[in-house]
Amino acid sequence: MSFITAYCHLNQEYCAVNGGIISRRDKQAQDPWFKQIYKEQEFAYPKFHKMDTLAQAGFLGSELIKRAAPALLTDYNDDEVALIFANSASSADTDLRFIRSYEQNGSPSPSLFVYTLPNIVLGELAILNKWYGENMFAVLPKFVPDFFLNYTQILLSGGSKAALCGWLEILGDRIDAFLFLIEKEASHAMEFSRENLESLIATGPVTQ
Amino acid sequence: MTYIGAEVIISPLGSTASDNWNALSANRSGITLAEKAGYNQEDIYLSQIAGISVDKRFEYLVGKALTSVEKHIDGDVIRSERTIVILSSTKGALDTDVTDQFGSCVTNLIAGFHLANAPLVISNACISGVLAINAAGNFINEKLYDHAIVIGCDVISKFVLYGFQSLFAISDKPCTPFDAARNGITLGEGCGVVVVSSERNIYKKTPLKLLAGTSANDANHISGPSRTGEGLVRSVTKTLQNNKIDPSEIDFISAHGTATVFNDEMEAIAFDRTGLSQVPMNSFKGYFGHTLGAAGVIETAASMQMIRNEMLVKSLGCSQSGTSKSVNIIAENRKASLKTVLKTASGFGGGNASLIIRNL
Repeated sequence: MSFITAYCHLNQEYCAVNGGIISRRDKQAQDPWFKQIYKEQEFAYPKFHKMDTLAQAGFLGSELIKRAAPALLTDYNDDEVALIFANSASSADTDLRFIRSYEQNGSPSPSLFVYTLPNIVLGELAILNKWYGENMFAVLPKFVPDFFLNYTQILLSGGSKAALCGWLEILGDRIDAFLFLIEKEASHAMEFSRENLESLIATGPVTQ
Repeated sequence: MTYIGAEVIISPLGSTASDNWNALSANRSGITLAEKAGYNQEDIYLSQIAGISVDKRFEYLVGKALTSVEKHIDGDVIRSERTIVILSSTKGALDTDVTDQFGSCVTNLIAGFHLANAPLVISNACISGVLAINAAGNFINEKLYDHAIVIGCDVISKFVLYGFQSLFAISDKPCTPFDAARNGITLGEGCGVVVVSSERNIYKKTPLKLLAGTSANDANHISGPSRTGEGLVRSVTKTLQNNKIDPSEIDFISAHGTATVFNDEMEAIAFDRTGLSQVPMNSFKGYFGHTLGAAGVIETAASMQMIRNEMLVKSLGCSQSGTSKSVNIIAENRKASLKTVLKTASGFGGGNASLIIRNL
């Protein structure tokens, strides 16, 4: 058995950790929404500003999960945290920007091109946390609990002791991110089951 | 035991594994000069499949590959509830619809082949293919499925070519992996298929054995290889350990070998650190170009052909070794009985993956 020990929702309107909203989007703000959260939460990782939106969403979600579950940084060896992510749009948001760079803006942009793969966010999280563990990025028609259940089961029965999982859908104005941490052992935590995962993704934050 | 077999390769060298084998064993490359293909109308070397007149090239190739694999396995397997199709690709049908790179292809595969389960698309840059075969092995070992059909496919697009040009990563000659004068990749396109199963009797021809491996991130850079080969060392070490294989048992390494200066150097360091620098090794990129998300599947299938045909195939394009740590690049074809083969891949996002194939 394994457990959901922390989770984070991030969409166009709000950002929530373990069901409690920690930030609401200020539509009047000059800063983009992800930068607004970055500032409010007083994160200090200048590389954030170079990342594409997919990687920024992964950064924010994983940093907030680390704050909610600090054991993630202390209880595991550098190769024991697996990253299992998925979405349906792949890196299309940045792909469109890269196409504009050579069709409209004069030349193909190398700094955009390197983000035109969905798994780059996993590389960013690995670099930031010095995680040398297993990586998996899948492109699925929609959020499928069984993909996360099955692949987490596979990796946790191998060398991984925890799995940071995420659904990261970013395309245009659409932001739908849900990250969750799975650990083998936990007290007072929710069992990692299809029902619990479905209910977390369907209901969103409990404190509005 | 987990079996692997029924391999299919669709590339400029042919549409079956045996067509491709005939070309490989004759050291024939699929790379040709494409006039004015580059962003500034430069001539570019590419490994391109000629004669596909349909618009949806990605979907066409995947469909053709799945139709082709049906001939090599029990007819009921594709439609079985105990079968999953795993699709490995970086950019899918990007050239058809940027915002739907995989969705409609997957929907059409389900309908066209009456698949019982939705295919799983794995998109992890250049390690996608090896990762997909490992995922297949893991699904079988955990008894989540009995059979997995792994299809690796990527097609050449302006998008990807212009991107690699913007990184100054495209070779001005057909790519020369591990050569002292290598200066970049040659892009390729193609489709590879392998069928992974717990049942030996689904295969019409004797399968081989899959020892599923592991992946490891470099935790170093999103688009540059690690200077120390750390992720590749970790992946290979764990793959060997998990399968209780000693480095001395490896008869051949199908390396990633993209022919960029830094990638090949990184691999040479990693193979030196893992005690594998004496093992005969090649890169298939000189034959197929770099087929990105398809590479791991195509090159695993080509390695399986080497086992079946008992031949070490020359690494095309390497005339003078050019890495700080020596590796045993295969200079000429030669007959060899191959029992245990290591396949590795490394890619953007810092990913590294490896797997082992054994003769039964």
